[in-house]
Amino acid sequence: MTQPLGLPYDDHDGLFAESEEMELNFGPQHPATHGVLRLKLKVNGERIVDSYPIIGYLHRGTEKLFELHPFFQNVPHTDRMDYVAAATNNQAYVGAVEKLVGLVVPPRARYIRMMLAELQRISSHLLWLATHAIDIGAMTPFFYTFREREILLDLFEEYCGARLTLNCMRPGGLPHDLPVGWTERCAKLMADLPGKLDEYEELLTNNRIWKKRTVGIGVLPPEIAIDYGVTGPMLRGSGVRWDLRKALPYDGYDEVEFEVPTGQNGDTYDRYVVRMIEMRQSVRIVNQCLEKLPDGPIMAKRPRVLKAAKDAEIYHGIEGPKGEIGFYIVGDGTPNPYRCHVRPPSFINLQSLPELCKGALIADLVALIGTTDIVLGEVDR
Amino acid sequence: MTSLIESVRNATGDTLFDYAVSPLVKILVLLFLMLLPLIAYLTLAERRILGFMQARLGPNRVGPWGLLQPIADVAKLLVKADSIPLRAVKWAFVLAPCLVVGPAIIIFSVIPLGPPASETGGLSWFITDINTGLLFVVATATIGVYGLIIGGWSSNNKFSLMGGLRSAAQMISYEVPQGLALVGPVLLAGTLSMVGIVEAQKSDGWWYVFPQIIGFFLYMVAGIAETNRNPFDLPEAESELVAGFHTEYSGMRFALFFLGEYANMIVISAVATTLFLGGWLRPFPSVEALAFLDVVPGVIWFTLKVFVFLFVYIWFRGTFPRYRFDQLMDLGWKWMIPVALGNLALTALVKLLV
Amino acid sequence: MDLWTSVRKAADKFLLLDLFAGLGLTFKHLFREKVTVQYPEERWEPAHRFRGMFRLDEDRCIKCTICARDCPIDIIYIDWHQEVNPETGKKDKLLDRFDIDVQRCMFCGLCEEGCPTEPKSIWLTTKTYELASYDRWKNLYVDMDELQEWKVRPAYTDEEIA
Repeated sequence: MTQPLGLPYDDHDGLFAESEEMELNFGPQHPATHGVLRLKLKVNGERIVDSYPIIGYLHRGTEKLFELHPFFQNVPHTDRMDYVAAATNNQAYVGAVEKLVGLVVPPRARYIRMMLAELQRISSHLLWLATHAIDIGAMTPFFYTFREREILLDLFEEYCGARLTLNCMRPGGLPHDLPVGWTERCAKLMADLPGKLDEYEELLTNNRIWKKRTVGIGVLPPEIAIDYGVTGPMLRGSGVRWDLRKALPYDGYDEVEFEVPTGQNGDTYDRYVVRMIEMRQSVRIVNQCLEKLPDGPIMAKRPRVLKAAKDAEIYHGIEGPKGEIGFYIVGDGTPNPYRCHVRPPSFINLQSLPELCKGALIADLVALIGTTDIVLGEVDR
Repeated sequence: MTSLIESVRNATGDTLFDYAVSPLVKILVLLFLMLLPLIAYLTLAERRILGFMQARLGPNRVGPWGLLQPIADVAKLLVKADSIPLRAVKWAFVLAPCLVVGPAIIIFSVIPLGPPASETGGLSWFITDINTGLLFVVATATIGVYGLIIGGWSSNNKFSLMGGLRSAAQMISYEVPQGLALVGPVLLAGTLSMVGIVEAQKSDGWWYVFPQIIGFFLYMVAGIAETNRNPFDLPEAESELVAGFHTEYSGMRFALFFLGEYANMIVISAVATTLFLGGWLRPFPSVEALAFLDVVPGVIWFTLKVFVFLFVYIWFRGTFPRYRFDQLMDLGWKWMIPVALGNLALTALVKLLV
Repeated sequence: MDLWTSVRKAADKFLLLDLFAGLGLTFKHLFREKVTVQYPEERWEPAHRFRGMFRLDEDRCIKCTICARDCPIDIIYIDWHQEVNPETGKKDKLLDRFDIDVQRCMFCGLCEEGCPTEPKSIWLTTKTYELASYDRWKNLYVDMDELQEWKVRPAYTDEEIA
């Protein structure tokens, strides 16, 4: 059982033999760190006493690249930050640009964007489940979730031409309309998906080994979560009902019905349940969008070259699968942004990892990295 | 010449044939022609069955249905660079794989794959039958633990050391419930000899899995923990310690560790088959109506039962997450030993009264 | 909690029913359809809009260089000059160089979107994703001629070449 947060390591009144602390490098090349995260651990036997994340192995200068090109050309760069959930990155960026320049997106584009974002949320959570389960030792959910993810990626490919780095939104709307038959295929997948989610739950949710590995591990109290600025399923798992889709709706989320699940104890198991329920709610949203899809244009009336006024600045955040992803853009009168800063959810969620690690075993560390659901592309940009 | 042969009679009066030729023939057939190919093809079977459970095909490119895959694997491992870490303890590094594979194969000398010579009228289906066969099996299996510790320690690598110690602790802790579970059939049979236990199942008329269902289950779980397989494979969990005690091994040495793990799996399955599932006996050996099943030779029944166990091993690997190390130790010490002791007491009581 | 629920909970705990449910699911999957695509005998067909390798049509191209300007990583290099066409007597733009540095291309499709001709002169929907070659320099920097010769899909059996 992990020690409560904040207390020093308890040596059981001197019953344990004297042992030295060992410094262990949970290196950048490791099968479980989901990318190139390096954790320097101070380990006493098996217990982690302290940990220092060292990041930057995937830094590519994305924020500088944003400054070199006009607004609409930067959309492919946003895909590559959280490469697992590209559509929500796009949505955040184009939402920020639209607010900055003052474009009004037509209703059909808003609904299609919402659908793409929710499909992307399902895809990202499926990948999270796959990697989390395989780190804890259950190999088969990986293959089952990727089988479903293949169909999702096929849907994306039919729409915008790529499977992972989508480039599927533009400031003002969308580049293409939906192809013929897309809505039928999407509806079919949404009909199949709850059954498949039940299968994964059958394998994991009530499994005693899974519960032993996740219940009570990595408890994050809500006050500490808010202090760190953690958002997304990590925050909702601790019991705080904060979802930007409900609190500050954008892109048509106030016109569909869905629920926001929260956990009770803030441990890994609660975050797992929250993400599973979120997937089901995303299916619900997509079904409603498919029913209510309005006709009309997909691109707003906009000038050929988008220019922002000098010193105009905007921050726009949306609810991505990992948390709040936001863009802070400052214009300077030219077609290029002057500064474009990203608020990456994984980076801010990663700050809570040393807190969660204190007193945990190394075997739990893998579960904790999985539950914070970090993507290093976003952490390092 | 005949005087030479006659002079080579040992104390019990066996001829040269009994003393030298027939064991060599049996070793050749049972070990080299049956066991070693089985170990190699078990690797392929695992990958294919695991793939089928995961909605994909396993390796099927090398030869039809992938049947030449083990040969390809062995060829690849043979030509790999044989690297020994700089400050590794060389003699220990080299010795460790042998200590893992050796005992597993040696145990096979006492496991009966089929009826003895008195029934077959020719050679018996086991290399030898010691009258303390089960004790020999348990003792030899314990030597395998040395291989893990020495391998982990001699690699000069913190991760390997941790993996090796964890693995050793796990194996030693699960020896106790395993041994206690094995005593149940011994009480019912009255002998430690492996052939004797199967003969006792034949004369009692039922496989010992029926009265000893708890012991059977305990032995299965302890066996999985002994061989470091999922759900107890933390010492070699890829996502946590890279590969545990065999991180630094490459090439044929790694192949030996790998084969040793599978050989241990087969040994545990074979011992479970002999003790609980009646060895070479057909189902329901006392029911006369099923005597037509005797057409199938005992060896085939034995291999079918061993395959069932191996399938269960692979099935468990494909389904369950991993136990954390302290939970694993909890399970062994706090749950399995009391249950095993209870099972033993119950068996003894029943045997006494009935 | 009444007796029935506690009996069920005890049975679940000791009879390991949750573990058997998981085992049953993996056993059922042994007999279900497998999703492996046996490449190269079977090939996964991309969708119509799949952004693969480029293709250029020099005749349709009006040399506006919008594609080079729109590229987010500036990998399209275009040179053109004006010449008087002897037949029509008008000034024509002729393409000297149209190179794409495929090493850095991210196949985003912005060049195709920017192209103003109808149908487009540069397009990525060639359904080609097999760009591997045995030669290090072959597919990395593609010039004008190679871009136009690129087949719609690479042939991998003799029947397809004809």
